[in-house]
Amino acid sequence: MAPSLQPRVDGDLRSILDSHDTLHRMVDTLGSPLNLVLPDRLAGNVRDFETTLRAYDLGGTVYFAHKANRSSALVRALATTGAGIDVASLGELQHALGAGLGPARIMATGPKSREFLWLAARTGVTVGADSVPELAELAGMVAAHGLPRVRVMARLSGFASTGTTVLSRASRFGVPVSDLDPLWAVLDEHRDQLDFHGAAYHLDTNGLPEKAAALEGCLEAMAEAQRRGLSPRAIDVGGGFGVNYLADSREWEAWTTELTGAVLGQRPPITWDGHGYGLRNEGGRLRGVLAVYPAYRAVAGPAYLDRLLATASTAHRRPLGSLVLDNLYDLHLEPGRALLDQCGAVLTRVEEVRDGLVRVAANSNDVALEAHGVLMDPILVPRGEPRPDDGPVGVHLAGNLCLEADLITRRRVPLPRPPRAGDLLVFANTAGYLMDFSAGSALMQPTARTVAAWRHGGDWRWCLDERYWPVTGREETG
Amino acid sequence: MRYDSVTDIIGDTPLVRIDEAVHGLRHIDLYAKMELYNPFGSVKDRAAWNMVRHRLADAADRGDTVVELSSGNTAKALAVIAGMHGLAFRSVTNRMRIPEVKDLLLLLGAQIDELPGRSECLDPADTDDPLTRMYHTVSAAGGGYLHTDQYFNDLNVQAHLRGTGPEIIADLGGRAPDYFIACVGTAGSSTGVARALRRHDPNVTVVGLVAGKSDFIPGIRDIDEVHEVGLFDPQVYDTIEAVSSDEAIDGLLTLVRRCGTLAGPTGGGAYQGAVRYLRGVDAELTERRTAVFIVCDRVESYLSYLRERRPELFRQPARAHSVRTLTGDELAAARTVDVAGAREWIEQEQPLIVDLRSPFAYRALHLDGSVNIVDDLFEEMLRGGLPFSRRRPVLLVCPVGEKSARYAALLTRMGHPDARSLSGGVIAWRDAGAELVRD
Repeated sequence: MAPSLQPRVDGDLRSILDSHDTLHRMVDTLGSPLNLVLPDRLAGNVRDFETTLRAYDLGGTVYFAHKANRSSALVRALATTGAGIDVASLGELQHALGAGLGPARIMATGPKSREFLWLAARTGVTVGADSVPELAELAGMVAAHGLPRVRVMARLSGFASTGTTVLSRASRFGVPVSDLDPLWAVLDEHRDQLDFHGAAYHLDTNGLPEKAAALEGCLEAMAEAQRRGLSPRAIDVGGGFGVNYLADSREWEAWTTELTGAVLGQRPPITWDGHGYGLRNEGGRLRGVLAVYPAYRAVAGPAYLDRLLATASTAHRRPLGSLVLDNLYDLHLEPGRALLDQCGAVLTRVEEVRDGLVRVAANSNDVALEAHGVLMDPILVPRGEPRPDDGPVGVHLAGNLCLEADLITRRRVPLPRPPRAGDLLVFANTAGYLMDFSAGSALMQPTARTVAAWRHGGDWRWCLDERYWPVTGREETG
Repeated sequence: MRYDSVTDIIGDTPLVRIDEAVHGLRHIDLYAKMELYNPFGSVKDRAAWNMVRHRLADAADRGDTVVELSSGNTAKALAVIAGMHGLAFRSVTNRMRIPEVKDLLLLLGAQIDELPGRSECLDPADTDDPLTRMYHTVSAAGGGYLHTDQYFNDLNVQAHLRGTGPEIIADLGGRAPDYFIACVGTAGSSTGVARALRRHDPNVTVVGLVAGKSDFIPGIRDIDEVHEVGLFDPQVYDTIEAVSSDEAIDGLLTLVRRCGTLAGPTGGGAYQGAVRYLRGVDAELTERRTAVFIVCDRVESYLSYLRERRPELFRQPARAHSVRTLTGDELAAARTVDVAGAREWIEQEQPLIVDLRSPFAYRALHLDGSVNIVDDLFEEMLRGGLPFSRRRPVLLVCPVGEKSARYAALLTRMGHPDARSLSGGVIAWRDAGAELVRD
């Protein structure tokens, strides 16, 4: 039997995934794969982050990192909340504006095309700049086109730490804090074009000490900006708050131990072809590193933010949250994955079952568990009644591309009974990065349609994603 | 006892019997091998010294830096030894979780490099972790490093095979104990001692203790992590059991409070794991047996570890004049003044303005004429009574007027007739366009 990793599913997501008839109706109508999103849950997640900010008396905005999901329904629902949005392309910016988010609630980040930069400046959104040349280009564009002064934040990188040396992965993005003079120079030279709003960091890590060092580095840079006569107002701490994907920490611990045993040859493989997920056996010793997302996380999302703000600055011996507040700064954040916790699922139909291999009508780009290293079991939604002798099985999951590598997951996954063609396998809690981030149309296989669902009394209502607006089907509420 | 060098004191630690009234085993004599008696405070002094002693002269000639992956006792011992021989020491770690140990290493002059956390946006193609990269750098010949490599270095095992193990046999009158119980960190001490004991008597039972996953006991690895250790050989142990941090602390408390042995959590875990294992054996026994466990190090470095997990052990007397003791009524009665009112009041009566924010924030911008006493310090000052005259009105300011209201209530309770809080705090002051200055 394959050791299980049951997904953590709660609230509305649990409720709709228990509505088997609804799920089958959706897939019968719109095909497999099918993305399901729950816009109302996003609003709840925004509130949870805001509550944590308020517990520290901090002002600031939660910016949803749009890149985590392309759904219109989610962005339109976001427009009804107090949150903002972090857009990383021209298309995302147009999408956000069209969904009802005003420029004051939009932050443009990431590598930017000239067109993206122009529309950002023209509409007056905040520009989170990656480099000094980007700020110079923006200022030049503002001057040349007679555009209004643009609010900018500067992404910083290469933060130093005090006491111990906190090592961090090198980043391609951001102005190194070791030499901020070019930043101050460009801000000074283009005072009429650039309105400096504050410093930002975005670290690709779940390491709290690194983030604490970065936040402290931003505080120092902000103090330097004030000494130079600038009036910065906010620090942007980026994203990376994480999601806890699993219901039970013990399953995660047991599975990783079993994988270690399998790699060392102490037990039969629990993965396709003995795949080690980064671990390897060298002369009976375990080598390499487990290259997967830590699927069980005791501290994730708003709790992780709380932990960061409660961390004491090593230089000032005071919690970072208090220091940000003492300095009267707002604290902006850009969660993607964490804001989409429990906001959706990918539904796939079983096409064929043979020899312990289950093929679904979807591929590993539609359900990007492998690309993002997230390990969790699918939920079996049967069509019709189970046969009496059906017991639990362990199976491998193959996709619909004629590629050896197209496995939905390299884990062998447990199912409560053998699936049959026509059953659904549902990948829960996949709205953040795992749904449509990398979906394409390889082999001209269909790409997933997306439906948005919402509660209506005791029922579920749903419509195509592009047809969802926060007022659709809710006429009776005005 | 006279020695020429402190390193000559390493080893030859005492073996002390634990009182039967404490452990309750009827047929087993339980002994503690007191490794906390080593000069730098732990069992790791032996391995550290054995791994570098023959290489120090050459390293000093070349000006090499001693480097090790350690977050604790090995780093401590190596930092001391490196310092004695004029060498720099660098510790690379992803688990520097004990603040006292971190501070002590800095005090000893060590450089500490903390490895980055896991990537949040995973790149599954990148299986070459930072640790592996670091390993390649320091292992290259002529790279300027003396890498002691404690998890793979057989000299770590040898230190115990030649030292710790034979000492136990000698102290037991030439007999090996029937049971030997040890926590597994680098596996150096458990492997070395086990081999020495079995050479003497192949029937010795060896119990290895590991930490539960997602639990944390300083110096012990969990059941998966031990497989990354080059010195770890499952054949050494008759059985491997998990011990929790809760059990380790229970054991520590027993040793500290009842045995006069100021052991750290690893020693506590070894004691508790030993008694738990031996209790099952004891019930079946009819003749006497002996068992030995290792007390790795001392308790003093782990006070914050203990405080985090057992705050009730550090109960403090209630403090006088604390904002934490304010009642809802007292808080509701705190006097506040809005920005417009405050400006007028400052103009007319020149209250003492106390800014409770951090000096770092105060330096950047503050109300003109205010003094800066950060809230922690202010609370400390108030314990002794009012630090200023009752005749001088006081305006308290903080970022949003929340903390300042608490302190205004506290000053009022302490008998100050006119202590007010700026409602909305410095943020409201700024947003109203009132003046903020930097000196």
